[in-house]
Amino acid sequence: MRDWILPLLVGAATGVLSGFGVGGGTLLLVYMTAFAGVEQRLAQGINLLYFLPAGLMALPAHVKNGCIEKRVLLPAIGGGLVCAALSAWAASAMEVGLLRKCFGAFLIAVGGMELFGRSKGPEQGDSGGS
Amino acid sequence: MQGKKGRYLLAGGLAGIANGLFGGGGGSVLVPLLTRYCGLDQRRAFATSVAVILPLCALSVGIYLFRGGLDVMTALPYLIGGTAGGWAGGKWFKGVKILWLKRAFGLLLIYGGVRSFL
Repeated sequence: MRDWILPLLVGAATGVLSGFGVGGGTLLLVYMTAFAGVEQRLAQGINLLYFLPAGLMALPAHVKNGCIEKRVLLPAIGGGLVCAALSAWAASAMEVGLLRKCFGAFLIAVGGMELFGRSKGPEQGDSGGS
Repeated sequence: MQGKKGRYLLAGGLAGIANGLFGGGGGSVLVPLLTRYCGLDQRRAFATSVAVILPLCALSVGIYLFRGGLDVMTALPYLIGGTAGGWAGGKWFKGVKILWLKRAFGLLLIYGGVRSFL
């Protein structure tokens, strides 16, 4: 039973972050790989699958709030799909130990940016105008 | 205008690399890029990243499934939790203060990162 309750709660907590648009999936990956002992590649697959309902549930609210920047969508999704396809392919061919080390370096980089990075430009603020 | 489009494309591409290679973290890459490099305000960057990442996840998960299969039973509790959490996240989004989250988030990431090397 405990095998179920904890993942459910963690998924719900990170789901809130995923709904906000940042960090939920990264955090869930850290939980699965560093705490729950899920194998790296399986954790990655679960995380991808997990974001589908989490993101879909949050999306209508974002649309309703008028927070989606539509002109970003087409180029960003286009570029993203190509790169995602190539790198997903690479990940499935890569040796897991190496994948894990790359992942670790990625986390440290993103974590450092969150801690020490300083966002310039429009800070916080509810989408100006509305 | 043309320049901006190129920037969106690049931001999306980098998010796609994280998404495919690590199975996540696209938002962690995309949001800072959208704010610092593309000049979006934070709130729009967060919401927009949800819309950008979704199709990338769908594609990547398809490739993962095709290439190696996926243990759906292990995934199920995370999916159910994520469904509820995602819904709440969208609902609470307008009221949330983002800054304090970022500190805790950064620390956890670095912890997880170091663990990956041990």
